Amino acid sequence: MERFNNDQVSAAIWLAVAIIICLSALRYDLGALASPGTGFMPFLAGLAIALFSFIGLVHGTLRRKQGVGWKPSMRGLKWEKPLIVLAALFAYIFLLTPLGFSLCTALFIGFLLRTVKPQKWFVVMAGSILTALGSYGVFELWLKAQLPKGPWGF
Amino acid sequence: MVMGFQVALQPGNLLFCFIGVLIGTLVGVLPGLGPVAAISLLLPTTFHVTPVSAIIMLAGIYYGAMYGGSTTSILVNIPGEAASVVTCLDGYQMARQGRAGPALGISAFGSFIAGTIGVLGLMLIAPPLAEMGLKFGPPEYFSLMTLGLTILTFLAGGPMWKALLMAAFGLFLGCIGMDTLMGAPRFTWDIIELSDGIGLVPVVMGLFGISEVLLNVEQSMERSIFDTKIKNLLPDLKDWAGSIFPILRGTVIGFFLGVLPGGGAVISSFVSYAVEKKISKYPEKFGTGMIAGVAGPEAANNAATGGAFIPLLTLGIPANAVMAILLGAMMIHGMQPGPMLVKEHPDLFWGAVTSMYLGNVMLLVLNLPLIGLWVKILRVPYPILFPLILLFCLIGCYSLNNSIIEVSIMVIFGLIGYLFKKFEYEGAPLVLALVLGPMMETALRRSLLLSAGDPMIFLNRPISAALMLVSIFLLAYPLVPWLRKKRAIVPKEENEG
Repeated sequence: MERFNNDQVSAAIWLAVAIIICLSALRYDLGALASPGTGFMPFLAGLAIALFSFIGLVHGTLRRKQGVGWKPSMRGLKWEKPLIVLAALFAYIFLLTPLGFSLCTALFIGFLLRTVKPQKWFVVMAGSILTALGSYGVFELWLKAQLPKGPWGF
Repeated sequence: MVMGFQVALQPGNLLFCFIGVLIGTLVGVLPGLGPVAAISLLLPTTFHVTPVSAIIMLAGIYYGAMYGGSTTSILVNIPGEAASVVTCLDGYQMARQGRAGPALGISAFGSFIAGTIGVLGLMLIAPPLAEMGLKFGPPEYFSLMTLGLTILTFLAGGPMWKALLMAAFGLFLGCIGMDTLMGAPRFTWDIIELSDGIGLVPVVMGLFGISEVLLNVEQSMERSIFDTKIKNLLPDLKDWAGSIFPILRGTVIGFFLGVLPGGGAVISSFVSYAVEKKISKYPEKFGTGMIAGVAGPEAANNAATGGAFIPLLTLGIPANAVMAILLGAMMIHGMQPGPMLVKEHPDLFWGAVTSMYLGNVMLLVLNLPLIGLWVKILRVPYPILFPLILLFCLIGCYSLNNSIIEVSIMVIFGLIGYLFKKFEYEGAPLVLALVLGPMMETALRRSLLLSAGDPMIFLNRPISAALMLVSIFLLAYPLVPWLRKKRAIVPKEENEG
């Protein structure tokens, strides 16, 4: 990775994305200029992404030659914290329907309060229960948001 | 306009205006939750009220956030939202020198003056522009939207290729879903939710809400707030003398940059600061606590909010991500923003415009006496605050269509937005392109059908040609210094070789 800088890596990824988009757009009808088809605009967008990522690749390579190298964006940061938050978010998505809004929310808030910057158990318990009840009251009872109910009916 | 006041002064609408500006100020005060995410979050709550009340409240959140954002910039050196970044430079220094009161005061008064003048400008410019908009055909619309995207990429920070790349990706995302001209699905992968396209709200909440939390939690999450009592909120004569012209200049800059699609509050605040520094007798003192460095940008970002409503209400083209969500809100409520809005729904148009004036008065009343309360809210530790921000995003996104798929899209875009920030890509061009994409595609394809495939149609019609030429100029402009630099480098390398 040290051989390339951030712009080169990201532009190369974009170039791959552009190729996938263009090839996928070909599956739809491109039409002609006089009557553009369904695939016309996505193909055009893919071409534009390819063009700009190519410019980025050239730009990144020129900067690499000038000595601009790989810039580690995670150094000195608590990078595991965003991972924990992301895991909690995906778990919330998977558990929302089977567990229901209130229980899932209480677990979600409690988990984040306890893990990201650990709070005292009293704060975790009170925070998770009050947030779950409060948000249920506001969104379900007051704003009629129709949140998912678990096997317990809440 | 009289009709507007009749609408805006109805008790229900006054209440919604108050709720909007109050929530907006709160959102502006709290770092990590911007007006885009807040409006997206509260959009579903407006489904049960009239369209006028809904737009009044959502607009109130937008300009309220501009007011509130300055408080965190001045007291904590953390901008509540992007348009207040510049305010940190001199506002925080003023606070360190014991002048937090005048900084907050001039920020509130400057915002009020600029917001009010911005609304007056909106009243004067919008109706004639709507008349002009009636003459626009598909080529003019396409050229105007192209210009909007070009301006945004031109003014975006960092290399222009990155901004253009994001805009192109946004255009692709806008293609996902049903082809409106042919009725055929594209890139839906048999997911029913995608047949209506990728929703703007999940994308925006992911890119700006979730990703911001992910970035914040990897840092120490500590922030210090001044414990000293904030006094002298009313600026004295010397403060006014140093602020009044920056406020007026900031108002003009903000308003006209706000009108341009792709302009907006963030850019106008930076331009205003640059102008004040450039024309000041003491440019070296900027960044050390100059009141002009607070007054100008704060005025500019508030005037821009008034200006940003003009292309939306008159041409149906959103100037920024917030306006894009308001466009969506209007369409959900059965309104089609555009040249006919003033004629077909004058109550909504004038009601929304005049409510902004009333909202500005409310904000002045709210901001000065309630600064103590906002400071108390700022003291809520971020480790307690961020789970609530995430929960609001989850509920807000889910309650739009009761769809887990949309929540998943939001979280995925949260991760994408986090990576974008790590690799220094801006999300704003993507969002604007996502909104404009379907409209641009329709305008492009209709133009080509009209001209039997001749792309010169964009240059044969005067308005379209003028707009297109400005876009081409802006796109070509960065190449000139690059070429000059390249020419300068080559002989040097040759000499060294």
